[in-house]
Amino acid sequence: MTPDARLSAVAGGCHIFSGCGYNAPGLGDFIFKPIFSIGPWHVTKPELLMVISVVVVVGFFWAAFAKPKLVPRGAQNIGEIGIMFIRDQILRPMIGKRGDRFLPYLVSLFFFIWIMNIMEIIPVAQFPVPAHIGFVWTLVGLTWLTYVTVGIRVKGPIGFFKDMVPSGVPWWILWLLAPIIWFSDILVRPFTLGVRLFANMFAGHILLLVFYLATWYFVSASIGIVYAAGSLAMVIVLTGFELLIQALQAFIFTILTAFYIGDSIESAH
Amino acid sequence: MTGSPAPPSRRGRGIPAGPGGRSDGWAAFSYLLSGMIVYGGIGWVLGHWVIHSALVFPLGMVLGLALATVLVVFRFGRS
Repeated sequence: MTPDARLSAVAGGCHIFSGCGYNAPGLGDFIFKPIFSIGPWHVTKPELLMVISVVVVVGFFWAAFAKPKLVPRGAQNIGEIGIMFIRDQILRPMIGKRGDRFLPYLVSLFFFIWIMNIMEIIPVAQFPVPAHIGFVWTLVGLTWLTYVTVGIRVKGPIGFFKDMVPSGVPWWILWLLAPIIWFSDILVRPFTLGVRLFANMFAGHILLLVFYLATWYFVSASIGIVYAAGSLAMVIVLTGFELLIQALQAFIFTILTAFYIGDSIESAH
Repeated sequence: MTGSPAPPSRRGRGIPAGPGGRSDGWAAFSYLLSGMIVYGGIGWVLGHWVIHSALVFPLGMVLGLALATVLVVFRFGRS
């Protein structure tokens, strides 16, 4: 059921004991009709939400740092806390001081993903952009290009691959282990990085939908109203839970990006 | 100097419990997955086109998992 069909079904008053079954959420809830078109480009809701996220993040940091003051106030204060958090909790522990030139990328990455995730619980928006995996692959591609490029620039093309292999492994087993390491570091890493973010936001959206729809479905002048109350309680609890997951997933994506970059920079161990 | 925290080194030991500590878990998981894919893949190709036996594919996966376990021990197991 597409979101539009869902809306008409909900408005149609399908409730318990009215001879109408519960319409469980499914993949259809992730397929949107274009809202408007610019030439051949049809803009759907997730795309629009992504653009809004960009505007929010850029707008906020613009407001915070367009005219920086020595004693920060208002938006600048919050912006500085955010940047310091990324630097001291993610960048420094993972890469160290020489990784400071990656701070702009990590800050942008964290806040962009976080705002896109938060769209899930903003009324009217109510869709986490990373629940469409295409958006995620773009970010993963940037991270992959960054850590591969940095690794090759720092260690050279041969050193980059040689350095992935741990030291102290006997030579006779090393050539059996090396393919596993290369496959893991070059291919599995970006794959798990992307799927982790996507799957968390996808599952979160489904989870919220299940209880939102159940609440509406159970509402009726019968015992159903009790179930509806229970379901509504779940909506509130899960919204809080999702708020945590949204920040956590943005954090994990960023910290793993930092970890991979750090891995590329750090010389043999 | 007992009690002072170890300097932050990322590979293997060093990572303290906390948000960053999960990187090791993911790396180990990534190795296990890679081992099965790489050697399972080799086994599948061998079994399909060279030896013509369905046995080579699962054998490859088991071998890959075993090798990946060895790798995890080498990288994370020693302190």
